[in-house]
Amino acid sequence: MAASVKTLSVGEQIQQLNAARKIVLENAAYYDRIVKGVLPIIGPSSPVELRRWGAEFLAESLSTPALNSRDKENLTVAILDTLKLLVESPNEDPLVLKASVIAAASAYPIAMRWIIHNSYHKESWESMSAIKARVLRIWDGAETPVKICCIKFVQRVVLAQTASNGTEQKINGLDVSLSMIPPNHPLLDPRVLEAEAAGLLDRMLGVLQDNSSDALLVDATLNTLSVLIRSRPTTSNRILNTVLNFNPLKLANSPMTPRTKVLIKSMEKTTRILLIHLLKRDPSNPMAPRIQQHVDRLIRSRAEIFDEANRKRAYAQPPTAEYSEAKRQKVDNAAPQLPALSQPPGPQSLAAAFTLTGNAGLQSFDATQVPAALAAKISVMTLATLSQPVLDQALYSIRARLSALYAVSGLVQPAAINPETAPLGVEEDDDDYEPNFYAAEDNEQILNKLDSAPPEVPVEQALDASSALAPLGPFKLPPPPTLDRDTAAKVGQIAACRVFGPLPNLEEAVLRKPKAGINRLAASSYDRDSWLTLITRLATRSAAGLEDVDGGIKSEDAGMTLDRTRMSLSNVIREMLYNYVLEDWRRRIEVAVAWLCEEWYNDQLTKRSKTGAPLHYEKWALRLVDGFLSYITAQDKVLTRFLAEIPELSRELLGRLKSLCGDPTTVQLALTTLLYLTMMRPPVREIAMDTVAEIWVEYEEARPLATKYLVKWRPGFIESQASGGGSVEGVAIAAR
Amino acid sequence: MEQSNGTATSSNAPENGQREEGEAFKLKFCTVCASNQNRSMEGHLRLSQAQYPVISFGTGSLVRLPGPTIQQPNVYRFNETSYDSIYRELESKDPRLYKANGLLNMLGRNRNIKWGPERWQDWQVGMPRLKHEKDRGSEGMEGGVADVVITCEERCWDAVIDDLLNRGSPLNKPVHVINIDIKDNHEEASIGGGAMVDLADALNKIASEERDKIGAAAFDIGSAAGRSGFDERVPDVLAEWQEKWPNLPATWTLAWF
Repeated sequence: MAASVKTLSVGEQIQQLNAARKIVLENAAYYDRIVKGVLPIIGPSSPVELRRWGAEFLAESLSTPALNSRDKENLTVAILDTLKLLVESPNEDPLVLKASVIAAASAYPIAMRWIIHNSYHKESWESMSAIKARVLRIWDGAETPVKICCIKFVQRVVLAQTASNGTEQKINGLDVSLSMIPPNHPLLDPRVLEAEAAGLLDRMLGVLQDNSSDALLVDATLNTLSVLIRSRPTTSNRILNTVLNFNPLKLANSPMTPRTKVLIKSMEKTTRILLIHLLKRDPSNPMAPRIQQHVDRLIRSRAEIFDEANRKRAYAQPPTAEYSEAKRQKVDNAAPQLPALSQPPGPQSLAAAFTLTGNAGLQSFDATQVPAALAAKISVMTLATLSQPVLDQALYSIRARLSALYAVSGLVQPAAINPETAPLGVEEDDDDYEPNFYAAEDNEQILNKLDSAPPEVPVEQALDASSALAPLGPFKLPPPPTLDRDTAAKVGQIAACRVFGPLPNLEEAVLRKPKAGINRLAASSYDRDSWLTLITRLATRSAAGLEDVDGGIKSEDAGMTLDRTRMSLSNVIREMLYNYVLEDWRRRIEVAVAWLCEEWYNDQLTKRSKTGAPLHYEKWALRLVDGFLSYITAQDKVLTRFLAEIPELSRELLGRLKSLCGDPTTVQLALTTLLYLTMMRPPVREIAMDTVAEIWVEYEEARPLATKYLVKWRPGFIESQASGGGSVEGVAIAAR
Repeated sequence: MEQSNGTATSSNAPENGQREEGEAFKLKFCTVCASNQNRSMEGHLRLSQAQYPVISFGTGSLVRLPGPTIQQPNVYRFNETSYDSIYRELESKDPRLYKANGLLNMLGRNRNIKWGPERWQDWQVGMPRLKHEKDRGSEGMEGGVADVVITCEERCWDAVIDDLLNRGSPLNKPVHVINIDIKDNHEEASIGGGAMVDLADALNKIASEERDKIGAAAFDIGSAAGRSGFDERVPDVLAEWQEKWPNLPATWTLAWF
């Protein structure tokens, strides 16, 4: 093999080698032959590509779980000389060196076990010892990637040269330990080996003892320690003490660059996971409380270090949804103190009374310069973001100022406040409000007070009186034109119309709908569906619980005569919604169903609240059905769907279907609808079949079909009718 | 140097889609999430599309997928259930629901990537993976070992490290384990997948640079960063990457297989 390879280019050789590797991956039995075949072409004199490939292949071969320990012993013995040449060659390529050291780490315990059982084979142990000596020599000066592999090699040496408690896994030589060496072994002296291991362990832990900030070395070391602590009792305390004294957060004292953040996080987390791992495996360890304490401390310190950093970053960028207020610690802001009203002598302007800022520049700003639209926008935005306490405080202080001004002008006394609107017996000063103080005042006293109050004065007259008293008193807006019920209703209707305004322009959202699935929100997007949801809720819920309870008595004329002037906003919207559905009812059946669902839901709430407020579902369901029925044709299966989907069906509602049976073309539609309901909506099965029965009685043309259904779903009915119910039938026919 | 690294990395990014499979060196990746369904599989797909050898695992005890309610998840065993069978089961249960919440779409994607969800803890590291030729990203993963493990959640990272500590690192092979916190939904998984490829590109770049330096001549080129090896440059790359993806907090350590 070697001879033929010589003539090939490096690339072609690598290709051949890759093919050879594939063979051993497929069948581990070939390892022995192929590794031995490869050895001559990967020696120190070969091109670096081949050496890299070779060293990596050796590392892989010695670590593969596909081979058992015995096979690996043969392999290791065969490899050792080549490995020794590779690690000893001066200025070796770092990648070759790295892979060689990894291979050596895997080889060490295997070679040791081999020599325990085959003490005659001195040469292999000498090679292994030479490799070890070389690795320990280059350890300190090597480049970092090689250095971490040296650390791992040393870990394997320590593992092999200390006594085991037998808890490690029996794979890849992890179980090779000092305990395997017979006391009188000619080559291996347990005491010497153990002493060496102790020394190497100290050197290995040096990186932690020095509190190094080289995260790569620290992590590499920490991540090798678990198996030593768990399965080599003599090392446990030494290692644990070192880990507990190691401060992974030391770097936090230096300036926080993105890189130091990565390093600190990495070292802290690696330390913590190691400790938690040990706690989990051995909770009864005498060191456990100390470990737990240390873990807690690490978590706290880390939180301190990174929380601050996080908070700073949160300000730098607009808070995203998930890191918004909800998760931030709430700080109780003291309400800002409003400056007291400056009281220069002379008349006060109204603007000054409303000025809340102490800033002189802002005080002199003429707000009337701002265009009304902009001012409105600013006001809305401000009001939306203003917190309630601040608003309250502003209102109180302005109210206080105004009453102070009244008092100063001495013209309008507080006594002149309209007794109808003034709070009874409550003094002006809200701050001193003490509920107990007024507890004694019961209904009777209030009534007494009312009795002694001056006789009722018409509002306008009272206003006139007070304005007469104040020739230069505060400016009053002219009262708005009185709003009578008619105009109010008209304006209300215009408002309701505008709710429907955007509807034709909104796009259909049919395509997006299935995507949302169960996560769909009622009105999450600005499309027609969402808008309709909004309208239905506006109709059903906006005035829920506020409706005129007495209206129930008058419902007959209110509902039937459609007295527009007396309809509430909800009913106006309902009326318009009804018209909207009927305009194109075949396509808008979904809207109708959605609306009725909302009505039904609202009715349930109304029933539960027991306020006696009017219910709407039944009324509007009937109106809709009546509306459809006047246009229905035999093809309108949509009716079936509608009746199947609305939340509640009443006898009266289904009774409306009977009218369809007057027309022979729609008999089938009516009956199949009822059949569908019988089959698919068990709760209304009885009502539906009753309706079919009534149809059977009332409409002779419908009998053949109705008979078919009745036989199936209400056996015995036809017979009973035929025998005893002849008169009923006669009456029905006569009635027609 | 740091800066020039950064610009070079970002200029690399647009090539992702049209990258060609050549002789170029490729790091081997392993993606890990809880159920080996959403985040790790998105990463698996994206990394394989970018021509990286990649395998993926879940660290959970069972494969859990959302069900009709939060109390009724769909639960399957790792290593024994194929994506295809899960797909067919859910499709027969409630096609509308599972189409609407994206599960069928996800499973449909997954069954074109590999056979079924695999559990990290059951993975025998270093066992040749030759029976997975049809898996996406299997090319180059025949040796059954990865250079970089990317987890998608802190919990998974913890589970991976704990498991590696438990195994006792029998292979002596260093492995960089990086966590990227990705929320478990389809949108975030997709963003996370892109971020993973970005990270993979940056890491692969420094790994290739390390391999391109041959012999003593390497010591003459460039500054200290140019001279140093792949492993020690990983934190630099990660720090730079983190600046670019501030909403995907990352954690890294060097562990051992």
